[in-house]
Amino acid sequence: MSLGHHHAWLPPGHLRPPDDLHDARSTNGYSRSFSGPRTPQLRASADADGLHAGTLISDADLATEDDPCIAMFRDLYRRSEAQINNLFANQKSAEEAARSAVPEAEEPPTQSQRADESAPPPAPAKKPARKLDDDDYDDYDDDDDEDDDEETVSPPKPKSLGPSHDPSGLPSPSRPSSGSVSVVLDVQKELKKETLEDIRKKLEEDKKATEEAAKRSFHTLFYTLENDRDAMLDQQRLEESERQVEAEMSGQASAGNNPNPNSNGYGSLSSANLGASSLTLKNLIARIDMKRTMVQASDAELRSLMSEVRKNRSKWASEDKIGQEELYEAAEKVLSELKAMTEHSTAFLTRVNKRDAPDYYTIIKHPMDLGTMTKKLKALQYKSKQEFVDDINLIWSNCFKYNTNPEHFLRKHALYMKKETEKLVPLIPEIVIRDRAEVEAEERRLQLAEMDGADESDDEPIMSSRGRKAPGKSTKKGAAPVRNTPSGSEPPAGQASQPPAPVRSDSDVAMEGTQNGFATPPPGGTQTPSDPAGVGAGVQGSQGDAMEIDGLIPSNNNTLTALPASGVESEDPEYKVWKQVTKKDRAVIAAERHRLFKGDKLNADEPALLRTKAGMRRWLRNQMQINAEGDKARESTVQGMDPGAAGETLAEGIEVDEDRVIPDYYDVMSGVPDLPPHLSWKEDSDGNIVDASEEFLRVLPKGSFIQPDSKLSRKMDANMRQMQETRKVCSKIGVVKQMQLQSQMYQNQFQKYQPEPFVEHDVPAHVMNDGGPVVSPWVCKAALQRSVAKIFYHTGFEEYQPSALDAVTDIASDFFQKIGETLKSYMETPKLPATDTLEPTAAPQWKRAYTEPEMVLHTLSSVGVDVESLESYIKDDVERLGTKLSTAHDRLRSLLSELLRPALADGGEDGSSAFQDGSEQFIGGDFAEDIDEDFFGFKELGLDKEFGLATLSVPLHLLQNRMYNAAQAQNTSAAQAVTLFPPPPAYPRITSETLPSQIGLVQGFFSAKLKTNSNEPLVEDLELPPKQRPMAARPRLPASGKIQPPSAPSGPTTSPQKRPLPPSASSQQFASKLGMSEPSKKKVKKNSGAGIGASEEGDEALPGVDGTKASATNDSKPNNADEPSMDATPDLSGKGDMDVGLDGVGAEGNDNAASLTNGTVAGDAS
Amino acid sequence: MATDRTPKYRQEIQQMMFVSGETAEPSVETTTLIEEIVRQQVIEILARSTTLATRRGVRSISTDDLIFLIRHDKAKVSRLKTFLSWKDVRKNVKDSDDKGGADAADFAAADDPIAGGVVAGPQDVASKPKNKRARVGLAWDVNSFYSVQVPEREDEEDEEEEEQNYATLQRLAAADERTKHMTKEEYVFWSECRQASFTYRKSKRFREWAGFGIVTESKPNDDIVDILGFLTFEIVQTLTEEALKVKEREDREKNRRGGADNGEDSKKRKRETGLFDPPEEGRTPVEPKHIREAYRKLQATPNKNIAMLLHNGRVPARMPLRLI
Repeated sequence: MSLGHHHAWLPPGHLRPPDDLHDARSTNGYSRSFSGPRTPQLRASADADGLHAGTLISDADLATEDDPCIAMFRDLYRRSEAQINNLFANQKSAEEAARSAVPEAEEPPTQSQRADESAPPPAPAKKPARKLDDDDYDDYDDDDDEDDDEETVSPPKPKSLGPSHDPSGLPSPSRPSSGSVSVVLDVQKELKKETLEDIRKKLEEDKKATEEAAKRSFHTLFYTLENDRDAMLDQQRLEESERQVEAEMSGQASAGNNPNPNSNGYGSLSSANLGASSLTLKNLIARIDMKRTMVQASDAELRSLMSEVRKNRSKWASEDKIGQEELYEAAEKVLSELKAMTEHSTAFLTRVNKRDAPDYYTIIKHPMDLGTMTKKLKALQYKSKQEFVDDINLIWSNCFKYNTNPEHFLRKHALYMKKETEKLVPLIPEIVIRDRAEVEAEERRLQLAEMDGADESDDEPIMSSRGRKAPGKSTKKGAAPVRNTPSGSEPPAGQASQPPAPVRSDSDVAMEGTQNGFATPPPGGTQTPSDPAGVGAGVQGSQGDAMEIDGLIPSNNNTLTALPASGVESEDPEYKVWKQVTKKDRAVIAAERHRLFKGDKLNADEPALLRTKAGMRRWLRNQMQINAEGDKARESTVQGMDPGAAGETLAEGIEVDEDRVIPDYYDVMSGVPDLPPHLSWKEDSDGNIVDASEEFLRVLPKGSFIQPDSKLSRKMDANMRQMQETRKVCSKIGVVKQMQLQSQMYQNQFQKYQPEPFVEHDVPAHVMNDGGPVVSPWVCKAALQRSVAKIFYHTGFEEYQPSALDAVTDIASDFFQKIGETLKSYMETPKLPATDTLEPTAAPQWKRAYTEPEMVLHTLSSVGVDVESLESYIKDDVERLGTKLSTAHDRLRSLLSELLRPALADGGEDGSSAFQDGSEQFIGGDFAEDIDEDFFGFKELGLDKEFGLATLSVPLHLLQNRMYNAAQAQNTSAAQAVTLFPPPPAYPRITSETLPSQIGLVQGFFSAKLKTNSNEPLVEDLELPPKQRPMAARPRLPASGKIQPPSAPSGPTTSPQKRPLPPSASSQQFASKLGMSEPSKKKVKKNSGAGIGASEEGDEALPGVDGTKASATNDSKPNNADEPSMDATPDLSGKGDMDVGLDGVGAEGNDNAASLTNGTVAGDAS
Repeated sequence: MATDRTPKYRQEIQQMMFVSGETAEPSVETTTLIEEIVRQQVIEILARSTTLATRRGVRSISTDDLIFLIRHDKAKVSRLKTFLSWKDVRKNVKDSDDKGGADAADFAAADDPIAGGVVAGPQDVASKPKNKRARVGLAWDVNSFYSVQVPEREDEEDEEEEEQNYATLQRLAAADERTKHMTKEEYVFWSECRQASFTYRKSKRFREWAGFGIVTESKPNDDIVDILGFLTFEIVQTLTEEALKVKEREDREKNRRGGADNGEDSKKRKRETGLFDPPEEGRTPVEPKHIREAYRKLQATPNKNIAMLLHNGRVPARMPLRLI
């Protein structure tokens, strides 16, 4: 093989038009190490190889290669890219160094066949290493091209070594060496085939390269999601059509199965074409066939299952048909590629509908579409590559034929598709399917003839197919040999080393997809048959060049860019590459997203997005890289290697499908969201957990929920206090007026008006964990309610219904909300350009549309309030109200003082200081002292000496006792505090037991009482509630003015009043007869009928005591006349005991008061 | 508006308009229109005050209900209060005069009824100090805050009252200005016009006209009718003043434009409408369109109401009638 020649080794700037390919090709075989060049780029390594890294894209639009300027620019760009890459290279420095060293060393030796060749990276030094690697390959007994051995760079080793090796191993430099190694093998090959294979490989590699390029570009460009939707829809359409085909196929299959003896329509698996798998899985299949009825799966499903089980084998594999697998795999791939170009392929996916184009079938005799082709493919109707290609081309030509208008859009699509086809067709191996038997026979013949494998031809397709299978699993490779072994025709198999190694060894994410690029032995120098167009030729040519330069990728770009240039659209080539390469993945991702957000809402029921194992692995690797980079800074590279290696081995097991060609940032699931720092689990040195979130708590500042202090609020508060004061006055006036009307008052009749001062309570100390206002609707509402209530009170309502308060609060909050919204919209008005600058050159100044006062004013006016009304509210409803209130207060006070004029003007509450203006002497009788007149006769009674009175006046509180009592009632607390001494213990009740301890005189009396009381203890009068106390009816002068004669025997009471007995008295009597527990002794004495009175007579006949006693029963005593004087002494002396309050100070009452003293007192007095 | 209804107050309205500043003789359409507007307002007033009274649990309207409806127009309230207090004074005087039979005649003559009462009030104060004006208390005044009646006091003059009287004095001054150059006959006519009232001595007609017995109870208090008479006068006055403003603006606009392009046309129209011009001033009378425009302006919903009633960006379709 002429692999050693690097023809097209052009410097980037010298990319040649595709046309020159020929010579290059004719002279040499093709280097296959396409993957090699790729790797460096992926790695973004900075070495010479890497030069091209950034250029892929830029080169893409090389429509004008001739232009030196452009070339120069491109070159410059490339260089700068390389530098940038260098800066950002992930690789370990050691590796880098090694890598860069190699190319440099190699450069001189490389035979630069062309003058313009520059810096050919091929490294002779590499060769030995590769040779060593070759040994490892033995296990991969790929019967493929012999060339592969050299090329396949130590697949297993790189792994263990780490990624560093792969790039270096792969690059084209290997080619020369491989050439030498494989010379022998080459001879055996047909040249033509080799070329074909080579071309195919190259094309595949081109594709890979574009993918790589796209991947590279991920790092330089940030792509948006804008096209995802289209991609998704296209993808869906594609899948739809595929499903259709599938359905049709299965329908056919089942139809075909029907004749099968199995009633259920299942074919036996063994009868089904399971391809090569049937050999190895023979037992399983037999087993399944036995239990076929119990398996709920169609044949097709089983078949796909089987093929999945045997991953190495494609579903096309067939024991009987040689070459079918290869051909069909390639064909299917091409087909799906074509279909996947949804931008252009949509029209060709399905058969032309007659409704859409009625005359179509009259013009087009042999309709064809991609869907039909898929069907045919699945039905295994293609026997050779040529048939397949013919069908494809038929589609395009049909299109051109039918749509004659050169402007027709479908023509553009068809043109594009055709170009794509031309690009892809070389990928399909030139195979004619033959029966195995036939082939084997031939082989045998050949083997006999010569030991060299004629069967290479068979193997090549396998290679290609394998290459096509992007994932590049080692298992898959293993499968190939299995299949081949039966034929037993490959002596070189052991030698043939598989290129996949680089792929595997490469741990880089980007690398995953690259396995395709293994060169098959390029036997001949002929062109690919399929590309009639110059472009196609160009592709190859450029490839050749590129390979020589080690700049495969740029050349790829050429091919890529050539298309758009001549084709339909003129887009940013980089972007186009991106779209093409990532379309499927983007579609998948977008579909996932779409599922979640269907209908413009978050669909909670949809399954969550879960990261696949591969995704996880990718992520882990990324993390590792990051870590490694971090480590590299301080530690040696060795350290960094370890985790990487470990991770790799770990990941190896779960490696599934890693062919995502999409940047990490594009996929939602490509990362784990960072934890917010305050949530991370931190421990201090003692192992205690540091609670980071604590520092975000803050205390709600005081006063958020109370009225802020302002002049207005102070005024309002003052008004409210004023109102309270005035109301106090009002309540006093009310009491006074009531007292004037009522003759008698009750203890609790007048509730003291004691308003509590208004205090606004703030919320208790509150802790929040973020800024901003407190979002607590209830508290806020309550605060607003309080403010509203305050305004209510200020307006004059003393109390209000909660519902009213609620309603007004709601209205107020609604109104304030509107104010807030309006203000906000004014605040958020877009800024205006400042108009003050006239010169246009000046950078535009922006200013707010409204100043703050403007905002407020606008808001106010839009809610119908203006400053004047606010001001007038404050002036009229607050300030003036204040003055009104104070005048009202003054007036009410003066009214009150007028009402109290005689009793207390401005005096204290009990009116004791009411007469300090000097007029008190007239009431108290002091004036009499001035004239030495004993006005009240106190001196005569000796009271002045007894009490040491300086002035013989009546204490005011005795005079105005009603007032005094009212005052006392209002501040009872003050009165209670006055009691200096504890009251003496109450006398024990008189019972039948205590009776003997009484003096003998009263014993009879008490015994009689006890008897009437049915021996219950007697109750003292003082123990009774005031109203039940027996009170001698006040003697009054009848209207006639004459005092009635004292003896009035007719009635039990001699009081002049004509009233009948108070009902209480009679009931009392009744109660006493019934033996009520607390009969009034006095009442009994006083009111009981004559019968009891008779017994009393007897008692009272006793002298001495009688005097005082008689006062109680004064009505029946004849000596009534002189009693008053007798009683005067006990009256005054016992004043403390007496309830003065019950009836004035009138002298008349004295005897009555005396009558209240009970028997014991009377006894003491005597 | 009911077109079949025959206007009942044409003369009164004309007089009121004259007092309010309209010098020309308005057309029948104008007065009819005004009458209908006033009637609508009166019915609205009655309906609302009846509602208020019902809410208090009372069947008959009280003066407070009426005043409550116009409580926001402080000047008007104060005028009304003044009017009521003077009405009270007059009644008392009449009573005492009936008894004493003394100088009742000249007082009665001096007192302008209704609208005149407001005007004449201050002048009369000096003439009879012995009859103290009873101040009309309102339920929402400070004095009613308390359970006890706040005693009146002579010496303190309510500053608020003074302020509110200021508007009245302004009116008087304007009227004075207008009458300054009047001849005696003219002044007599003027003062006659000032006595125009919807209610005075036309109580029955007014009751029928305003729909008493339908809208509210049929036997209204005398005070109520008087207040309504006062209010109707105010309505006509406000309307006329507003309409005059509208017309003035229109005229100005017309002159400006008419002078520019076709003075001919406007002149012609002027001559045409000149039929109604009173000779001395040569002004065109207020037309119904002016009244309508004035009414529209007076009915415009203030922003605050809109803001208050705005819900979800929608203003209620019907806003309540605004009392003028």
